[in-house]
Amino acid sequence: MMDLKNKAAICGVGASPQGRIEGSTAISLATEAFRRALDDCGLKKNDIDGLLTMPGTTSPEGVKHYLHLGEVLGINPRYTGSKFLGGGTAGVLIQEAAMAVATGMATHVACVFGDAAKSGNSRFAGAYGWGDSWGIWGMFSACANSAVSASRHMALYGTTSQQLGEAAAACRYHASLNPDAVMREPFTVAEHQASPWIVEPLHLLDCCLISDGGVCIIVTSAERARDLAKPVVPIRGMGQAHSTQMLELEDWWYVPHQKTAVDAAYKMAGVGPGDIDVAQLYDNFSMSILLWLEHAGFCERGEAGPFVEGGRIRLGGDLPVNTAGGNLSESYMEGWLHIVEGVRQLRGECGPRQVAGAETCLVTGRGMTLNCSNALILARD
Amino acid sequence: MNEYNKPLPAINDENRPFWDGCRAHRLMMQKCRHCSHIRYPIQAVCPECLSEEVDWIVLSGRGEVLSRMVFHRAYHPGFKEDIPYNVVLVQLDEGPRIFSNVVGVDNAAVQVGMEVAVVFDDVTPEVTIPRFTPRLASSQ
Repeated sequence: MMDLKNKAAICGVGASPQGRIEGSTAISLATEAFRRALDDCGLKKNDIDGLLTMPGTTSPEGVKHYLHLGEVLGINPRYTGSKFLGGGTAGVLIQEAAMAVATGMATHVACVFGDAAKSGNSRFAGAYGWGDSWGIWGMFSACANSAVSASRHMALYGTTSQQLGEAAAACRYHASLNPDAVMREPFTVAEHQASPWIVEPLHLLDCCLISDGGVCIIVTSAERARDLAKPVVPIRGMGQAHSTQMLELEDWWYVPHQKTAVDAAYKMAGVGPGDIDVAQLYDNFSMSILLWLEHAGFCERGEAGPFVEGGRIRLGGDLPVNTAGGNLSESYMEGWLHIVEGVRQLRGECGPRQVAGAETCLVTGRGMTLNCSNALILARD
Repeated sequence: MNEYNKPLPAINDENRPFWDGCRAHRLMMQKCRHCSHIRYPIQAVCPECLSEEVDWIVLSGRGEVLSRMVFHRAYHPGFKEDIPYNVVLVQLDEGPRIFSNVVGVDNAAVQVGMEVAVVFDDVTPEVTIPRFTPRLASSQ
């Protein structure tokens, strides 16, 4: 079997302005991000021979998104396609890009996402269920899926809403140090508790933002990356695991496949939780952070509630998490900015939110109805 | 009387026995004739062994609340008058799990681990929706 450890690297990252960007479209935001990622690494448009994209909630093209974006960008790639695994897409496309680079199918792969979800009024309020819709019983929204996890975790392990508030407040504190973040006003756990219920046991401040924005991440071989403008960030390990089944799985609410994904990434990288200096953990809702902490082995099953207390996941704590603010406070780019922040931390570009001496970063992604998960271990060269 | 304006099942050949069962106040699911797996959601093949051979069996309707949510937002206009309303994930005694609602008690009384039994809500002349109610100690 081909060893993919350190074969590919992230050489360029770019993000458009985030938040409410009047007059933007999914394509215009993706285009701006692409331009910035090229500027970041010094590549020219015509160097890009791989194009992997994720359609946004406001992208009418669906799985033909790559065709439209490619035409707009004037790219005729050797390797291309679009995938949609919700918040699990970004990491999966980076892994596909790494495989394409390692096998010689492409040299420089641009992975691109854009969405005008805020100005386009996307709601993330749908009901799931391929056969009989869960909406028959009023079971709607992405929030409710995470509420399923939170309710059971609380009942089995004594996890509290205040502990979810600690995790959300840590993300907001980090966003306050990030000039590009959308929500920068810190809040306390008491303020989290006072925010309205959305779907119990989740409050408003447990929920991610809805944002306009675009992100582009360029992957090439580690060798090639050393010739480019910025410090090389090799992809040391990667893994993914998906549970398409939901109600059929007794532990679906706990998303145990996330552990499979992280363990695969650890194994490829030859590292474990003790080697991780900083983590970017997918956070569509605060509960997701707690589950990742358990699945990534930073604490035992059921112990993530107490783990996040006392500032442990804040800058200066044992394990800084979501140092740019995450989906909860930086911008809801469905996890794409988690990878960008991982790269920037390892390059040492993060100013007041820089984790001193960060050498190894875990980045995770999770999407759809608790279905799709992936993990990347990024490291300094 | 208000017209029922919440989502209704799209009844077809695949799910008709389930919804016909509900109308007759029986909770019915598919049991694989090949491997005996009782499955939900309703689908044409057994996800364990891929057999299409199936018997529709009547379940006890008994189960336990695995997760409990209370909605404070109406994501669908039909639920506007109902908020706050509960949704529960129910572990049925025979194995399958299903989302539903606990009726007949305050939301605050609905808890994870609560033992429940199915009840049937005739919401339209054509459709009856299975919901659950707490099981009293005396009825166990």
